[in-house]
Amino acid sequence: MSIQLLFDALALGGIYAIAALGIALIFGVMKLVNFAHGQFIACAVFALIIPSTDAVAVMGLGRLPALILIPAVLAVGALLALAAEALVFRPLRNASPVALMVGSFALGVALQNLLLVLYGGRPKAVSLWADLGAPIALGPAQVPLLQLIVIVAVGAILLALALMLKHTRIGLEMRAAAEDFGMARLLGVRANRVISGAFALSGALAAVVALVLVAQTGVADVRMGGQIMLVAFIATVVGGMGSLAGAVAAGLALGAASALLQAGLPPEARPFRDAFLYALVIFVLLFRPQGLFASAGAKPRV
Amino acid sequence: MITQHQIRRRMAATTPLLLSLLILAFVVAAVTLGDRATARMASETLIRVTLVVGFWIFAGNSGVISFGHAAFACVGAYVSAWTTLNPMMKGTLLPGLPAALAELHWPVLPAAITGGLVAAALALVSGAAILRLSGIAASIASFAFLAMINTIWANWTPVTGGTSSVVGLARYITPWVALGWAVSAIVIASVYAASASGLALRATREDEVAAAASGIDQYRHRLLAYTVSAFFCGVGGALMGHFIGVINPDGFYLDLTFLMLAMLVVGGIGSLSGAVVGVLAVSLAVEALVRLEKGITLGATTFALPPGSQEILIAIAMILVLVFRPTGLMAGREIMLPARWVVGRGTSQDRPETDRR
Amino acid sequence: MAKIGVFDLSVRYGKLTALSDLSFTMPEGERLFISGPNGAGKSSLLGAISGAVRAAHGRIEMDGEILSGLGPEQIARRGLSMVPEGRRIFASLSVRENLMVGTGLRRDESAVADDLEAVFTAFPILRERANAPAGALSGGQQQMLAISRALMTNPKVMMVDEPSLGLAPKVVDEVYDRLCELQKLRGLTLVIVEQSSARAARVGGRMLLMRGGRIVADGDAAEFAAGDLLTEAYFGDPA
Repeated sequence: MSIQLLFDALALGGIYAIAALGIALIFGVMKLVNFAHGQFIACAVFALIIPSTDAVAVMGLGRLPALILIPAVLAVGALLALAAEALVFRPLRNASPVALMVGSFALGVALQNLLLVLYGGRPKAVSLWADLGAPIALGPAQVPLLQLIVIVAVGAILLALALMLKHTRIGLEMRAAAEDFGMARLLGVRANRVISGAFALSGALAAVVALVLVAQTGVADVRMGGQIMLVAFIATVVGGMGSLAGAVAAGLALGAASALLQAGLPPEARPFRDAFLYALVIFVLLFRPQGLFASAGAKPRV
Repeated sequence: MITQHQIRRRMAATTPLLLSLLILAFVVAAVTLGDRATARMASETLIRVTLVVGFWIFAGNSGVISFGHAAFACVGAYVSAWTTLNPMMKGTLLPGLPAALAELHWPVLPAAITGGLVAAALALVSGAAILRLSGIAASIASFAFLAMINTIWANWTPVTGGTSSVVGLARYITPWVALGWAVSAIVIASVYAASASGLALRATREDEVAAAASGIDQYRHRLLAYTVSAFFCGVGGALMGHFIGVINPDGFYLDLTFLMLAMLVVGGIGSLSGAVVGVLAVSLAVEALVRLEKGITLGATTFALPPGSQEILIAIAMILVLVFRPTGLMAGREIMLPARWVVGRGTSQDRPETDRR
Repeated sequence: MAKIGVFDLSVRYGKLTALSDLSFTMPEGERLFISGPNGAGKSSLLGAISGAVRAAHGRIEMDGEILSGLGPEQIARRGLSMVPEGRRIFASLSVRENLMVGTGLRRDESAVADDLEAVFTAFPILRERANAPAGALSGGQQQMLAISRALMTNPKVMMVDEPSLGLAPKVVDEVYDRLCELQKLRGLTLVIVEQSSARAARVGGRMLLMRGGRIVADGDAAEFAAGDLLTEAYFGDPA
């Protein structure tokens, strides 16, 4: 029971952390709360299937072997985010954070309805890597193989991202820009390069979430990014807006809280799990409005 | 002798009057010139005026975007359903309703007002938490609040009917009923905006630090505006329910949030006139697009937009407004009478006919 | 050809005019102080030259090339570096990382290493704290870091906004000593905003006196301190 719970918490928290990173990266460099992130996830999911409004999904990209499929879907996510930046957010570069946020909400609605037009409104069954659902015995617990893969993959992604931010030129520029964009530009840091980099990374992270969601649920649904985006938002607020490390920590914590609620709540209350989670978070913020993981004056730190 | 200040106050007082006349003209035109469908469109538009003006009372004065106001509409609609539905029907549709509620069979007006009051009470409680956060974080928390209400309503099946719809609400909404509520919302909104609290809140919108330095308690004024705002969104939700006759939690979720936001952005969040004009402009556009989606026949060919293109086009319009005219159609100005009209002949110099709020 | 040329430059913030039709030129290697009361437009001038503030009209040139309309990063890449008011160091980045942010525009990696070594030699405290977060440095040390960070872009022109702000007089002396040394060593063209004309006179150089968005006097800093041009600038009728 307890090992099972630990793996549930890690896998769920890992996915939340990846989604929260996707939000926090963009917020860091351009103070945009990206309400289209959930639709980036949904678009990456639907990139697997051939556009049609038929009830049965026909795999397109999704038929390829994983070694090609994964980079291809990541590229789709990254390109979509880059296109969104160029078409919507670059013209809004000097707008207020509120206008940026509202603009991203509109973009999300446009993308969601574009998917509706192309694929129809009904959720479709998608079978991606179905054999990963098989459980493996780990001591007394049965853990699905997929869960193990997710945990390992999330760990690897977080490590790679931390190394990139710490040791590459673009990583240094992103961290500098997140702290003081104007100053970074005065030192010759190219705004477009940093912002495009952040969007591309964020889009690729959305694609990671998409792959995991499809593999876990076996469904492609136009609305599937929404819930996870909301949890990711909450993670960025709880983590202290703009702090990447805070977003990851808060994502993991929310995953753990979710898993605990799922296990601890009486069965008839389980459908309300997310409602309890949101209420819990609002309650926590009452006492620490600046977020759990940021001291009042703290700056973003990786 | 009349001071400039008094002139401005008198001019500002003409804003609700002119806006009310504007929507009255809209209703009269729709009822006399159009068919039944047009009259229905007019009712729907005026319900949206109630909703969006309610939304504006908070968002316009505070500058904080709330994503949670559709939740207040949801609560208002269900409260009105709980109190007005035939008790027999409630017994079968909503078996989990507490006995005290299940027996009620109220007339529609007290039900709508109660819907608004319950929404306002919910706003007071949730706002006490959400509004402590800074602007952007408060927006995110309001989004979480919306999702929370939606999760509860979609799963609390014995009381809310869950994702299956509650049917049989009395369809009493005529354009005139909707007009009455829209005018009340406009009047209360302009009274609030001109009040000390409204002024203080707009001061925090312009410059948070300076306002705090001059002793303005931002949190208290935000909470007051949020509560008043939720009342009209609750009423608007009740009207929506009784307009269609059927309610469902997803009818008060992201689509409604998007529509309200689009109207406010297109009209301009900076003024009450912007909110009203935005509703009219977007509603007319939606109506045109809906007809296009159904298809129009030109000679032998029928031309139709695919379903969903309505939202796509409105979203694109919204982004274009944000890029090219970020202050919206009204650019923060109010519709008001010129100074020489409110002062009387011969006593005044010309003044601009619009004024920034 | 002048190193920096400013012609008919105007800057507005909404209805407020910060600079109106301002012109001056400066030759290579010059040290130019800009002084004047608060709100005179000193920071706006530096902002406009560095590209951080958009000009309403007018022209800015460096080595005959027009800078107006370029973004701050493009201007930095042409060899103009800025130490802004309040230093604006990256508090969460380490001292070394702060120094490296501005080297992205350079292709000469070995020269970057040499410059880093030169900075560490000139300011041993920065070497000592190289891996500490820059936010933990004292005000004076942060000022040294901000100047060194600007130097790491290998500029031809450097602009420093109020280097003495918030520092003890003794520390200010040291900052100026270092700035003058660096200028001599590298042949920098130096623009410094300095409120204190006495300080400017002691360091020596040319001085522009600004008021109400215009230049009201232009001459040797030492003469300003002696004469009553200053009183005129602060209390007189703006031209």
